[in-house]
Amino acid sequence: MLKVLDHLEEWLITFLIGAATLIIFAAVVHRYASGVAIPGVQDWLLRQNMGWAQELCIIMFVWMAKFGAAYGVRTGIHVGVDVLINSLSDRPRGKFIIFGLLAGALFTGIVGTLGAVFVWENGAHYAVYTALGLDTSNMYEGPTTPDLEWPTWIVYCAVPFGSALMCFRFLQVCVGFVRTGELPHHDHGHVEGVEEVPLTAPGNEDKVFRLDDDMHPHDEGPPGPLLDHGNKKDGGRA
Amino acid sequence: MNAVIIFALLTALMITGMPVSISLGLTVLTFLFAFTQVPIESVALKLFTGIEKFEIMAIPFFILAGNFLTHGGVAKRMIRFATSLVGHWAGGLGLGAVVACALFAAISGSSPATVVAVGSILIPAMVKSGYPVRFGAGVVASAGGLGILIPPSIVMVMYAVSTNSSIGALFMAGVIPGLVLAAMLMFTTWWRAHRGGYPREVRATWLERWRAFRESIWGLLLIVVVMGGIYSGIFTPTEAAAMSAVYAFVVAVFVYKDLKLKDVPKTLLASANMSAMLLYIITNAILFSFLLTHENVPQAISEWLLSNGLGTIGFLLAVNILLLVMGNFMEPSSIILITAPILFPIAMTLGIDPIHFGVLITVNMEIGMITPPVGLNLYVASGISKLGLSEMTVAVWPWLLTMLIFLMIVTYWPPLSTWLPRTLGMM
Repeated sequence: MLKVLDHLEEWLITFLIGAATLIIFAAVVHRYASGVAIPGVQDWLLRQNMGWAQELCIIMFVWMAKFGAAYGVRTGIHVGVDVLINSLSDRPRGKFIIFGLLAGALFTGIVGTLGAVFVWENGAHYAVYTALGLDTSNMYEGPTTPDLEWPTWIVYCAVPFGSALMCFRFLQVCVGFVRTGELPHHDHGHVEGVEEVPLTAPGNEDKVFRLDDDMHPHDEGPPGPLLDHGNKKDGGRA
Repeated sequence: MNAVIIFALLTALMITGMPVSISLGLTVLTFLFAFTQVPIESVALKLFTGIEKFEIMAIPFFILAGNFLTHGGVAKRMIRFATSLVGHWAGGLGLGAVVACALFAAISGSSPATVVAVGSILIPAMVKSGYPVRFGAGVVASAGGLGILIPPSIVMVMYAVSTNSSIGALFMAGVIPGLVLAAMLMFTTWWRAHRGGYPREVRATWLERWRAFRESIWGLLLIVVVMGGIYSGIFTPTEAAAMSAVYAFVVAVFVYKDLKLKDVPKTLLASANMSAMLLYIITNAILFSFLLTHENVPQAISEWLLSNGLGTIGFLLAVNILLLVMGNFMEPSSIILITAPILFPIAMTLGIDPIHFGVLITVNMEIGMITPPVGLNLYVASGISKLGLSEMTVAVWPWLLTMLIFLMIVTYWPPLSTWLPRTLGMM
């Protein structure tokens, strides 16, 4: 069940960003192509109206942003100022992390609820009652979008659904952290297809990594995973 | 007084390590709930209308374009081209690294990705040729910062969006400072290499240069698509971003064949992930700036500063210091989205050019990438070079100093940034 949700979420945002790109591309090509005099084709192009492209693109990106933000919680891409808490010992640090995750769940929960109320009052109530054949005389039909003329409440559904999912993801990550002590970690410096070449200067293989003096604290640098992807990619060669 | 409460609240929430976007949102909710009569429902409308601007949509498209082209193969071609141009001078590979970073920056828009792509090839190569590892790591980590100054730049789009400035003019304004900074970094590299007697490469023939150029031309053409398209008015910035995403897709999959068709969904997903994170910060930052405006915070700060006799020079210095300090703890997008709504109105009151101000902020962000404790470029370069973070900090100092000098030039000599867009009639 959770797997299905995961895939649905990934599939949705992948589709949205890809489709939005193609739509804008098509709109631009259309704008210039319909200026070229090709018999038959030009008339057909001129009959197509791409004025809705911009609006649809915005709607798709709003949906992508809301659901992508939920996916981002799962991949650990939402960064905060963690310098201070990372310098704490494990127990207090854990408490701060749990606090942060719960705060995230609280915020997204509130936003989701506000969003749901807003959507309900701005058309969803009317639409549902109309569909059920109930009395809608006192209700607000809600506005529609300017170009596509879709009811805005459908578009705005991204907020309650996206936030609810995000709230769920925060709780999920929190439970995972309490159980295993691990957080999802996003690697900001990952580049596809880059191989890590071992660093060795001829003759001083073991010296290049460290300064010779003892005046510099020999810290570990960043915790490993920065280049882990690269390693896996070429079969752990490095 | 309200300003103090708001910022104390924000700081308190932020240092617990929760995501910046969440701390912004919670600050707004808490403040509205505890200190004002504003119904929280009014927040709901802001949540919906926050990111419904077509300009903002340039961000996902630029990220997508960058991700298509940010592959080992493209970086390798650019490095070869760069080294063939400048490799024969002292510290050749180091100079090559700066040029390669500048070229790569022009297509990627992300600093850490630039550092990985260029660094993971060049740092080992430099160590092998006998350069000290600190030199190699330092030059790549610093030059990687060029990514957000040389257009296209996501940080600039962020600034443009939060201050209603022209994206096209900002991009143009970044060109000359970007080239000047690249030249200054190259000079520092050359000078260090010259003093240290570091090796140089064999001079490449013009034929070799031409070949290397031809191989990297597809990546370089992206710059032409974006800048040419925006300048000539063929595309709006967002359209240019979408076109460059499609172009980058074609180049990566069909021309360079770096990317297999079956890996495309993965790239889309990664880009969507990154974009959604940024859009989420934007949504919450818009809420936050709504709160600031509602409480008249920018005006209050502005009046306070002016009544204390702070002129343009003092203000710009204060801005630089504030941003540099913040750059030590936060990542660029959040800093811009939080500070721009406050600083921008003050700058306008003082008669500072909005485009110049944008470039100044961008340069500050760049420096923030190589100052500890939160400097992504340092982390990434330290990951490649296996130098500890404190050694990395020492390793970047010559270039850090160069960048600080450059920051002073940018700050107090506006024509450097505004000349090109003004000459082109974009502002």
